[in-house]
Amino acid sequence: MEKIILPDIPDLNKLDVYIANGGFQAAKKALQMEPSEVIDIVKKSSLRGRGGAGFFTGLKWSFMPKVKTKPHYLCVNGDESEPGSFKDRQIFEKNPHQLIEGIIIAAHAIQAQTVYIYIRGEYYRWIQMLQAALDENYERGHLGEKMKQTFNTDFYCDVYIHRGAGAYICGEESALMNSIEGKRGYPRVKPPFPAQNGLWGNPTTINNVETITNVPKIIANGWEWFASIGAPKHPGTLLFGVSGHVNKPGVYELPTGTLLTDIIYNYAGGVPGNKKIKCVIPGGSSMPPLRGDQLEGIKMDADSLREAGSAIGTGGIMVMDEDTNLLDVLVRISHFYHHESCGQCTPCREGTGWMEKILRRIQSGQGTSKDLDLLVDVASNIEGRTVCALGDAAAWPVKFMITRFRDEFEKYVKKEVVIPVKNKIHSMKYTTYSVENIKLPESTKP
Amino acid sequence: MPKITIDGKELEFKEGQTVIEVASENGIYIPHFCWHPELSISGNCRMCLTEIEKIPKLAIACSTYATDGMVVKTQSESVVKAREAVMEFILINHPLDCPICDEAGECKLQDYAFRYSRGESRMLEEKQHKPKRVPLGPRVMYDAERCIMCSRCIRFADEVAKNPQLTFIQRGDRTFVSVFPDEEFDDPYSMNTVDICPVGALTSRDFRFKSRVWEMSNTPSVCIGCSRGCNVNVWVRDNVIQRLTPRENPDVNKYWMCDFGRTKTFKFVNAETRVDGPFIKENNELVKSNWEEALNLTAKRLKKFKPDETAFVASAFATVEDNHSFALLAKLLNAKYYSYFSYVIPGSGDDILITEDKAPNALGAELVKFKANGVSNDLDEIFEKIKLGEIKAVYILEQAHDFDSYMLDALAKAEFVAVHATNFNRLTEFADVVFPASSFAEKHGSFLNVDGILQRIKPAVATVELDRALDGLAQSRWDKFGTKFDRWAQGKKYDAEPSWKIISALAAKLGKPFNFSTSEEVLIDLTSKNSAFRNLDYNEIGGTGIKIIERKFSEEEKI
Repeated sequence: MEKIILPDIPDLNKLDVYIANGGFQAAKKALQMEPSEVIDIVKKSSLRGRGGAGFFTGLKWSFMPKVKTKPHYLCVNGDESEPGSFKDRQIFEKNPHQLIEGIIIAAHAIQAQTVYIYIRGEYYRWIQMLQAALDENYERGHLGEKMKQTFNTDFYCDVYIHRGAGAYICGEESALMNSIEGKRGYPRVKPPFPAQNGLWGNPTTINNVETITNVPKIIANGWEWFASIGAPKHPGTLLFGVSGHVNKPGVYELPTGTLLTDIIYNYAGGVPGNKKIKCVIPGGSSMPPLRGDQLEGIKMDADSLREAGSAIGTGGIMVMDEDTNLLDVLVRISHFYHHESCGQCTPCREGTGWMEKILRRIQSGQGTSKDLDLLVDVASNIEGRTVCALGDAAAWPVKFMITRFRDEFEKYVKKEVVIPVKNKIHSMKYTTYSVENIKLPESTKP
Repeated sequence: MPKITIDGKELEFKEGQTVIEVASENGIYIPHFCWHPELSISGNCRMCLTEIEKIPKLAIACSTYATDGMVVKTQSESVVKAREAVMEFILINHPLDCPICDEAGECKLQDYAFRYSRGESRMLEEKQHKPKRVPLGPRVMYDAERCIMCSRCIRFADEVAKNPQLTFIQRGDRTFVSVFPDEEFDDPYSMNTVDICPVGALTSRDFRFKSRVWEMSNTPSVCIGCSRGCNVNVWVRDNVIQRLTPRENPDVNKYWMCDFGRTKTFKFVNAETRVDGPFIKENNELVKSNWEEALNLTAKRLKKFKPDETAFVASAFATVEDNHSFALLAKLLNAKYYSYFSYVIPGSGDDILITEDKAPNALGAELVKFKANGVSNDLDEIFEKIKLGEIKAVYILEQAHDFDSYMLDALAKAEFVAVHATNFNRLTEFADVVFPASSFAEKHGSFLNVDGILQRIKPAVATVELDRALDGLAQSRWDKFGTKFDRWAQGKKYDAEPSWKIISALAAKLGKPFNFSTSEEVLIDLTSKNSAFRNLDYNEIGGTGIKIIERKFSEEEKI
């Protein structure tokens, strides 16, 4: 099949090669259209955001004010901070010019003259690659004021790369805007939404790198072509980043709706040693994990995965074989979200640390099955009650890992434990845990 | 008008109001930590989660705008559970400091823990440790472990004090509030953060460990730091003022007051220099006397001087009532010279609360000024005449700050100087008689602030003439239920009286009594003579004052 994002063309990252393969024809076409026409085409193509939430891109663009009274901004989210996803990096490396062409079209559609590409600071090499590509396009007159002559239009835009400083939360769109503004990476309370009140209070649209990279091909080949690829309600291709216990980990561009088992066994080469799969996280670490014995027939698109009890997320597929200790996995994931919680709102700030502490206690052999119930309860108390989606991201792995793999987690806990409490102010030296089967040590008085 | 239904009650609201605003206006309490009516919305505490029809998740009432036909539930099962969860999250890392925490007793978190929490902790792990006892600035102490990251202090510094000195640093449950490197939180309004802090994270370095809040009585009053007249509560234990806190008044100070007013305007009340009982000068030294002797002496001496040998200096620190009776006394003696001392320091004000006039009642003193034919109201002229020996008797009402030295030099030439003073200072050294005046915290009265709002002060500290129980002063729990042997019942009581009372007694000694028995009677007498005061009494002034002047007063409005 044809690949949209990462076609198998050698040296496509070179501008001449890209132009020789039809590069910037879509931009030329789009810049002669009215912005609303462009939005209309993208709307009809049913292109959905590739950053995790899967919102319809054309609809998002249409939220921008039709009459421009203030500067409009486009932010391209390349923070790629979700563990298990490494797809945008491939675009920066292999096909940067298609991203830039997509940016030109998108900026024209929402009438944004300033574009920020937000990339995680750790991607230093890829930032250099993309900056080199940007410089080249400036020279050729594809960006900046020269665009007016090159594309014979009144519109022009400038593109800047903004390096992130290492916070997961800055991949959240409103925290990303705060970060660009030089503020603390705190997500904003919505409403107001970015399309009304975004960067410096101006109308702003935030799109994922992969989403934007789809746009030139949609303009070039028409929305009908795009809408016919993959799953009807979630068309196009996805960059699936497959990692974990597979023979050939890597990024695979496949149509949406491809069978999960197909991706793992055919494209990624199956599990080393032909072991059984215990668990698969289908869309980056924050998405609910799937049981290895229930993978049959699961298709990789937003709606099918929702039916299967998970979500497409960023398409980062993490495969774990039968020998994996899921407690260790969950401890690692919880540690990540504890470390990355921005601390703005209460449930996530306090809950993520608490969950990690409980899990570490279970890991040290000091947990009971009551603790598993407690973990699920704590996760449920975080879910849906926070400013941004990081609360859900932190809660889902714990909640669904424990409920879906309860049989395994029961193996990690004991029937009775003695828990020395370090915080002596918090209670007496040893707490009387309100479970009948916990005994106080005999040597100390309460 | 659009309507919203909260807990089954249909309520009208204005466009642009949030759910929590509509609710609080209509007496429905939605618990909250980070929301404050005078600050921007931050929506971070998640305590005000409510159930709103047509919104799938629970929504925070502080950032959800009311729309027509919206149906809100604040007491449903899911809301109660969500609140319990938020309380649990806040409490898991909150130290059990309540027994040693200054905030205990007036702590939002403590109150909510009783009202909205489930009452037990499921957290077995060690709590998160963070910096404790961090001096953020000269007047504010910070405890990061107690902090619940509501960001009220940060938003206050940014939005109200317009001085963004505070910020969060670190991330997640390691977050805490800090100042920027090599800076300190020294804003003139910094201590308001102590009031708005919903927990004991920010405490006043001035008040720390002085008293538990329930051991103090609290009396509504007015700050005397400047002519703004910020509404305050006076907190008293052992008959000593422990602290002042701002009292809400939307027309004057909203919820705020400045640090100067909070820390520097009440300590003179219990200072060592306090005048305790009348003093008379004997052999160039002030000797403690008694009321009878001091009043007789003053009456006898004042009678001896002619009207053009007598000057009256009123006070912008004394109440309207004190100044009015003082003017009546000047009229009684037909004195030719009457003025008051002004404490304006140009350039010392700001556009938030602090004014240039450092006295609370300059407008009141001006409005009730004694002005008969041939009277001079020029202070400089009066002191020039004292210096020349033309004015021989000077009667000076309460002055909080020292006079300029040229004035003091002039006073040395006067034959008789009578002074009402709360504290001994350089001025009292020149006095032949010093009457002990009650401070603002020991009397009833009213001040007219810079905007022409007449506001009441009430006694908070008992004196010899003013009994806490019999005269209806505010009482703390200990005052009510303690015995007379308790420490808090044995605080020092000064032998001082309000100036109007001293002046009334003096008028009686002069043979023309005023017949005032309460300060309200002085005010009522004033209202019958001065149209600016209309027919006011204390009831009408009420708790937050009443605006009596809309414009600059005219000459006819003075007596």
